[in-house]
Formats: sequence, structure tokens, C-alpha cells
Amino acid sequence: MNFWFGLLIGLKEISAHKFRSFLTMLGIILGVASLLAMFALTEGVARGMRENLAASGGVERVEINNKDPSEENQDLAFLSPGRTLDDAEALRKGAPLVSLVSPEMNLGNNTAISRSNITIRLATTGACPEYLEVGKYELAEGRMISQIDVDRVTRVVVIGASVAGELWPDTPDYVPLGEVIRINGVPYRIIGTLAYCESDAAKRKRAAGFSAVQDERRTRRMGKKKRVNRYDTYWQKNHAILVPISTLFNDFRTASNADGTPNWKLDRLSISVADLSLFEETLNQVRGVLERTHRGIDDFGFDTREEWFDNIESSVRATRTSGSLIAGISLLVGGIGITNIMLASITERIREIGVRRAIGARQRDIFVQIVVESGVIGFIGGILGLLAATGVIQLLIALSPAENAPVMTLSSVVVSFSFALGIGILSGLYPAWKASTLDPIEALRYG
Amino acid sequence: MALVELHDIRKTYRVGDQEIAALDGITLSIDAGEFLAIIGPSGSGKSTLMHLLGCLDSPTSGSLVIDGVDVSRASSNQLAAMRNAKIGFVFQSFNLLPKFDVLRNVELPMVYAGVPAKVRRERAMAAIERVDLLHRVHNTPLQLSGGQCQRVAIARAIVNDPKIVFADEPTGNLDSHTGEAILTLFRELAESGRTIVIVTHDNGIAARLPRRIEMRDGRIRVGVEAAVSATTPLISPAHPGEEAGA
Repeated sequence: MNFWFGLLIGLKEISAHKFRSFLTMLGIILGVASLLAMFALTEGVARGMRENLAASGGVERVEINNKDPSEENQDLAFLSPGRTLDDAEALRKGAPLVSLVSPEMNLGNNTAISRSNITIRLATTGACPEYLEVGKYELAEGRMISQIDVDRVTRVVVIGASVAGELWPDTPDYVPLGEVIRINGVPYRIIGTLAYCESDAAKRKRAAGFSAVQDERRTRRMGKKKRVNRYDTYWQKNHAILVPISTLFNDFRTASNADGTPNWKLDRLSISVADLSLFEETLNQVRGVLERTHRGIDDFGFDTREEWFDNIESSVRATRTSGSLIAGISLLVGGIGITNIMLASITERIREIGVRRAIGARQRDIFVQIVVESGVIGFIGGILGLLAATGVIQLLIALSPAENAPVMTLSSVVVSFSFALGIGILSGLYPAWKASTLDPIEALRYG
Repeated sequence: MALVELHDIRKTYRVGDQEIAALDGITLSIDAGEFLAIIGPSGSGKSTLMHLLGCLDSPTSGSLVIDGVDVSRASSNQLAAMRNAKIGFVFQSFNLLPKFDVLRNVELPMVYAGVPAKVRRERAMAAIERVDLLHRVHNTPLQLSGGQCQRVAIARAIVNDPKIVFADEPTGNLDSHTGEAILTLFRELAESGRTIVIVTHDNGIAARLPRRIEMRDGRIRVGVEAAVSATTPLISPAHPGEEAGA
């Protein structure tokens, strides 16, 4: 029998019982919708995390952390100077596999940044020129801190995109190059501003008419407590205050230890791996250099983004697996619903099956007809499920944070849809077998 | 050679541990172009005989040759192919597919024969014209009268140009006037050379056909053959209750 004819019969049968067919499909529709929504959610979270990772320096960035030295070195730990500018210098000279070294000294989150009568409190970073590239920043106006600034200990500052708006609230879009601001009372001249950073999703949202900068200003003007997450990578990047690391040391660190001695320690030491295929070799090289500067004390460790990345991937995979299992079960239940209805439908049509057999339909023809029919139910259910899913996902997009907005990928659509179609066909197999093995004489006599 | 030849056909059913012989040694031949009636009260085995002749069932023993093909041991697929190509059925209750219009109902046997859509349409229209229903082509069976439904069924039965058409009580659900018209249609088809077998319990109908085979208790009753053609064998006195093979 012709496949298209089978399809026609299936469609006819479905349109003859619209409501019943819809109820039959409902299981498939819900299954496909939940499967797709689940895929979209996990994909959105994964993308958000990956973007965040990239924005904060990508996989090539490695941070050198403080660590408790191993047991046998504990008594000697005081011999190590810890992470200092010497480490940065030694790495620049002695670790060719490292492309960039960015040492930082920080003033805490409560540093007073002021201009005339306005004071805001932000973290201040003493940085080297490499900071720009390692941290994946872009300059909007002016220039970045240069090596000359570091060498000559100049009082200059580069500010994040949102800072100008907060210090000059009455003149939006003002570029305050050359203006002087005070950091804990010490005057610094602004030499550059950083470009605005945001996630792709936020970018899309802004393109649709929302301005994140405006949002921030609006909430501030209305006196509402800002509901921003200070640990958000993008927020931090837009509120950066960067000064030369040497200037920060000179102005704030020369007597900051409890006993009045200078604090030479770095708060952060980041490097960029030149060639990701030599990742392990690079780490070994860095370890070798730092063991020398730390006098053999292993009081440092590596925080690699690779592990972070792997964690993201594995947690996303776990969520996806359990989610698809649950959605798969609802699809399976939908399939059982189809089987049930198809059984009822062939009982209703026993006589028709007998007539078809009498005029020459083979068992195979009847089988194909029933399977095509349930396949059509799966197909239409799958399509309606896709439509429902797009609706559900729009809802989820409105509800979830911009950077983790659910994303419907083509592959998830293909997977869910073929699953629906497959379930439709599978659940028709048993009714089809039953219909095709009916005795034609009995079937003709039936009813 | 005869179109249909049966030799010592038996069909037994098993009910519990009891064997019931629905057909008990039937030997019979039907020639091409014959117009005959199989009559008998219910339970006489006439339906079982028609099912065997119509390739809906296989005999328990004996040989059954239709148009040169031995179908007594044929597989389900072979039987289906025989039914499709060489046999047409007309039923008492029409057995049309209620969701399809007249054209699609008549086309159905050709769908299973794999006839291309265009040819299918032409031949279906020709068959519908033959039964005078061209004006109802796009109606569904529910919109037709009983007599019209039976005409559609006849069109469907002849559309594949079968060797033999079986009609099972074709006038049973019709009033006498309409039934008469249907019988006339059958007669016309028979006169144009088609082999037609009408199964009925109505002696009034059977009496008007050229040949009658009367069934009783799974056997052919002796001495009631109305018309004896040249190829119809004589009744063997040695085996009363059976018609001897040719």
C-alpha cells in the first residue's frame, strides 16, 4: 500500500475524532514541551556560565593562589615572602610559556571614591598594563595604565563604564578624561574609561529597548536599594577602579602591616597561558619559577579555569540527564495513551479492517496503516509540543536572569521531535499487530 | 478448463474437543461466465463454501483451484493477492467505508493493487458509470440509499476486473423493488460475460438463475441442479449426497 494513502487515512481518522485525538496527543505534547523547556533551561545556564567564564579571562587564565604549605614545610613557612611583585618579575623573565603576567594589589570593597561632595564605595585595584588583556577588558576612551605609569608611580586612574555615571549623575554619557577624583582622599587623574561589559543575553535585552545603565540609574534615583549582585562578574568589571600597582603601594601600603612595615604582598596574581595545548607544561614552568622565589616553600596553588569549565560541563550534563529522564517518562506515558486509544480505535473498526482484507489488503498493509496512523498522532503531537515549548520558553526567559536565559537549540528541537515521532510509531506497533492478525471472516461478521 | 475446481473439499472447526464438519467433501466446478446461486438454510455450510471460494479461508483438506492457481495451501499473502486480483465481493450489509466518498470506496481495491492514481480514477469512474451512480461520486455512503450503496459495492467488486464475483445475500437488506433492480444489474453483468455467484437462502431469487447449488449439512444436495451445462458432471449414483468430480 502507498505510504501517502496511509497518511491520508491517518489524517482522516484524526480529523474525524478531533477532541479524542487531541487528548491522545496531550501526553506527547506535554512530554515534548517539558523535554524542550528542560533542554533550553540547561543550555541557557551552561551558556551563561561559559560566557561568565570567558568574560573573566577565559580558559587560558590561571590564578596563582595562596595555599597552606605541605606538612614538612610548615615550620619553614615564614621563610617564604608569599606572592610579591618579585614573583611577577620572575615569571615575566623566567617563564616563556606564560604570555602575560598580571599582579594586583587591592584596596577593599569599601575604598572611598569621591569627587566634590559625592562619595561611592568600590574596590580599587593596583594593576599593571597586562591587567587589561588578562581580565578581558576593553578601553572605551583615553588610555590604559602604561609601564611608564608603573615605573614613575604616577597618580592616574582608569575607571569602569558605570563609575562615571555614578560620580557625575547629572551629566549622563560624560567622559571625565582629565578630571581628578580622590581615592581614600588621595587625588588621581582619570586617564581612561573602560568599555561597558554585559552578557550576550543582556545585550539582546538592551537591543530590545532596556538599558542596563539606565536601569541602574533609575533604581538609584528612585532611592530603591540596588538589587545588584556585587559578585556578578559584569557588575564588578563595570565598577573597576584601576591605578598603577606601584602608586597604590606607595600611597596605601607602605605602612599597612600591623607592625608598621610595608605590605609587599600581592592580592592576586594571574597569568595567561600562551598555548593551551601546553597547559600542563606551562603550569610546571610557573611552579618551578615560583618555588625559587618562595624559597622552596610550596605555599601557592593554581586555580585553573579548566576545572571550572569541566565542573560546568559535568553539572549541566547531570541536570540534562535527569531532566530528560523525567520528560522521557512523560513521553512514554503519552505513548501508552496512544497505544490505548489505537486499541480502542481498531476495535471500533474491526469491520472496516475485514472489508479491507476482503478486497485484497495484505496483513502488512493493515499493519502499515495503523502504524502510520499512530505515527501521525506522534508527529502532530510533536509539532504542537514544539509550539507549546516556544510559549513556555518565552515565559521562562521573562522569569530567569538575563545571562542565564533559556536557549532553544536546533539539536534539542530535532531530538525532542524525533522522540515524539518514534514514540508515536512504537506505540502503534502492538495495535497494528493485533489489527493485522485479525481473521478476515471474523472481522467481516463483527458487529 | 473450468474457472473454479473443487475436489473433495472438507472444512472442520474445532469447538472445545468436538470437531464440527462445516463442509463434508464438496466436489464442484464452475465455468467462466456462469451465473449461479448457492442456496441453503443457515448452518448448511453455504457461507463457509463462499469463504473458501472467495479465498478468505483455506480448506482443511481437498484441493481448490481458481483460475489455474491451487489456493488450497496458499499463504495469507497469496490469498490476499488472489482476492485483490481475481475476486470481487458484494455483501449483504454493503460494507462500504463510511468516511470515504463513493469514488474513494470504489478506488480502494486498486490502491492495494498498486494502480497509479490517474488510472485508478479513470477505472473507478468507469465502474461507477456502469452502475449508474456518476451523479453521486462525491457523496459518502451515509448520504446514499441502500440500493445506491449496493451499487457502489458492486462497482467496487468489479473495478479490478475480477474473474469471479461473489454476492452474499446482496438483496437481504433491500426492499423488494430495489432488490429487483440489483438482481437486474447482476444479470446484466452476467450477460456481459462475468462469472457471478450469488449466495442466498431465498429460493425465489435462486430459482431465476441458470444454475443452482443447494447446500445441506455441509454437502451439496442431490438432484437440484437446475441447469446442467456441458461441463457439469452427472450425479454419480455411487455417492449419493456428493457431486462427482469432472
